[in-house]
Amino acid sequence: MNKILLLEDLPEIRAWLKALALQVFPQAHIFEAARVHDALALITAERFEVALVDLGLPDGSGVDVVAALREAQPEAQSVVVTIHDDDDHLFPALQAGAFGYLLKEQPREHFVEQLQRISQGEPPLSPAIARRVIAYFAKQNKPQERPQNLPHVSLTDRENEVLLWVAKGFTLPEIGVQLNLSRHTIADYVKQIYRKLNVSSRAEAALEAQRLGLFRR
Amino acid sequence: MHARRRLSAALSWLGPIALVGLLVWASLAARSAEPEPNVIELNSALTTGGAAEHFPADQASKLIALPDEWSNSRPREDGPVWYRLSFDAPVGSEPLLAAYIERVCSNAEVHLNGVIIYSGGRMTEPVTRNCYYPQLVTLPGGLLHAEGNTLDIKLQGYTLQKVSSRQRSGELSQVRIGPLAVLAEEHASKMFWSISLLQIITTATTMLGAFVLFLGWMNRQEAHLTYFGLLTLAWNALTARTWLQQMPFDNGTTELLVCVGFSMLAALVVQFLLSYGGLRSRVIEAILLTQCLLVPMTLVLAGPQRLFTVSNAWYLLMVLEVMVVTVLYLHAEWRAEGENFWPMAVMLSLLGVLILTERAMQYDWFPAPHLHLLNLSMPILLSVVGARQLKAFGLALQAAENARNSLESRVAEATAEMERNYVQMAELRVEQVTEKERKRIAGDLHDDLGAKLLTIVHTSESERISTLAREALEEMRLSVRGLTGKPLPVADALADWRAETVSRLGQAGIEVDWRSPTEDVSQQLSARAFVQTTRILREAVSNVIKHSGASHCKVRCTLGQQDFVLVVQDNGNGIPMELDGKLDRGHGMASMKHRAKQMQGQCLVESGPGYGTVIRLTLPLGTSLTL
Repeated sequence: MNKILLLEDLPEIRAWLKALALQVFPQAHIFEAARVHDALALITAERFEVALVDLGLPDGSGVDVVAALREAQPEAQSVVVTIHDDDDHLFPALQAGAFGYLLKEQPREHFVEQLQRISQGEPPLSPAIARRVIAYFAKQNKPQERPQNLPHVSLTDRENEVLLWVAKGFTLPEIGVQLNLSRHTIADYVKQIYRKLNVSSRAEAALEAQRLGLFRR
Repeated sequence: MHARRRLSAALSWLGPIALVGLLVWASLAARSAEPEPNVIELNSALTTGGAAEHFPADQASKLIALPDEWSNSRPREDGPVWYRLSFDAPVGSEPLLAAYIERVCSNAEVHLNGVIIYSGGRMTEPVTRNCYYPQLVTLPGGLLHAEGNTLDIKLQGYTLQKVSSRQRSGELSQVRIGPLAVLAEEHASKMFWSISLLQIITTATTMLGAFVLFLGWMNRQEAHLTYFGLLTLAWNALTARTWLQQMPFDNGTTELLVCVGFSMLAALVVQFLLSYGGLRSRVIEAILLTQCLLVPMTLVLAGPQRLFTVSNAWYLLMVLEVMVVTVLYLHAEWRAEGENFWPMAVMLSLLGVLILTERAMQYDWFPAPHLHLLNLSMPILLSVVGARQLKAFGLALQAAENARNSLESRVAEATAEMERNYVQMAELRVEQVTEKERKRIAGDLHDDLGAKLLTIVHTSESERISTLAREALEEMRLSVRGLTGKPLPVADALADWRAETVSRLGQAGIEVDWRSPTEDVSQQLSARAFVQTTRILREAVSNVIKHSGASHCKVRCTLGQQDFVLVVQDNGNGIPMELDGKLDRGHGMASMKHRAKQMQGQCLVESGPGYGTVIRLTLPLGTSLTL
């Protein structure tokens, strides 16, 4: 683990997060930014493996940084670290390509554990998120509501099944037991769902950009 | 089906046809009436011309048969003409005798044994028009002899050429002598059929015509109504010539005006049929107008000696015009497949037959019946056609009224719909504004209060303060959710609770047994109820993890008709009692109970050292849950 981008405007919290990151990844080199602008500049200059991104920043939203990082460095894993736990913040972040979503006030040990889990490729998925993902893809599958020229991204039956279990409140290990699959296989399904969510939303964004005449190429 | 309906419509028009038939029968019956035994009929007379005041006995006279039609007996002579009839008083007769002359045309004076006893009116221009009036002359007893009475009749009339119809040329019918009572009855009957009936019918159809004309006037686009009204009125005006005895003009002028009147009538008939069939044409209108001007011009040019020939030529042309237009009209109705065809076809055919009969009479191909058939039947036909138009008008009026009503109700519906939409939009707007405001407050809380609490959480040296700040932050988040949240399905709430509870207990190494209804949960949970219940459950789970030392935890959610019950039961140590017998405040029992009370529910805690803890939350459905 080499380079980590840390975007956080509050100095105390940034310091705390830095200490925490160093605890999980002792060898890492941490690049700190307090604004969206600085973070975007860093993305063009450095290649990151992990990015810890706050959402509410003085000059914009961390979602833009997540999207930019996804575009410029697809292998980098963005983890949103925020105080907002509502769907209005969470879902756009996931669509932009965030791989994890951590709440700031969690005790240090929880934080460490979740960060480790994410770095090992196991993204978080709550029932609320699962419900939104199901609704999102259900809408995508209705041709009359889907904008034209949009690549059709849909979930497989298994992915859908996993989402349905999650939406009912079952944890990933429980679902693994129910479907007679390993915990890692379930995690892979979830990762795949995240990827599709991101692909779909990016295609949508591109189409919207084209519609608005923002495409420069 | 279609043909049947048409046929039944045609059958319903049999009534008026039967009426016309009755008239024909009545006229025939009148003709074939047997003479009374006491009545003598004089069938011949000595006749001679001359304007003298008495029968010119010195002039040469000849014997002729009665009735004497001038068109046959003296085609080129005008009146006056004297007739001398001789008779003996009928034996065994009534005290009062009378002479009944069914027809004098145009007027007559009657002398008995050289004394003038009766005059029908003016004998000089304008001559009284008595052609349709039967004459009843009472014979004064003092002037009568038992035998060898002479009855002299001075008849003023016109040659056929000076009048426009054969009925108006000079004529004297047979003369009948008999008891006054008998002949008066016959006279009254004849008067009724020839004059009174006509006047009654004319009055009635004039009112009908005026009414239809008024309707046409009010509805200009229904031109046929106007034409029909005018046509009816014109016909009635022309009919008046049969019962108006005194005209302000001399015979020539009157006959010319009648002829012009017929040309206008023909034009109106043509226009009516064309507009009724939707076939109006500017060209035809111009031709008709020209014709109306040409008729008087040709009549004046031809002079009074050829009035009959010229006017009858015009009449023939007009009859042809009407027939052609009738065919055109019926063709249009046939193609339109409306209900008009059959009744109108019957009516117009009847009219055609009557007109042709009338024409034939004018050319003397056909003996004239004693009743003026055309005059009597035409008003009936007009009434029938007029009634038909009024019916159509009434139906149209009804349809318009219905259309107006339905339009009104549609407008009312649309208005209500608009009002509803407006209210909905206003509500939506209020909702949107409220939602926006909630989000702003939530954002502010997170950014200001949240950031400060967070700083305390992560910078405080004291674990206690850090925990307190974290709990405060958690509280704030729940409050914000209660502030911003919409109601969510109970199923979703159960899923969220299950995920969190199972995950937390699982991480703490405590075995979980969660049971909740998975299907058929349709109730909604208000954001506030969700938040409060989440806090209670979270507190209960925290207690299990932190204090119970349990290895197993059972969670039961049940939804009843009236309430919602959540039970959390562990197999741990139970909660130690304080000295005053209350449960440990540090375990947050008081706040759990307080929250339950806020939702009109209750939270019961049963615990004892050694047998674990049971927390039972009961909330009433329909109030706090679905707030």
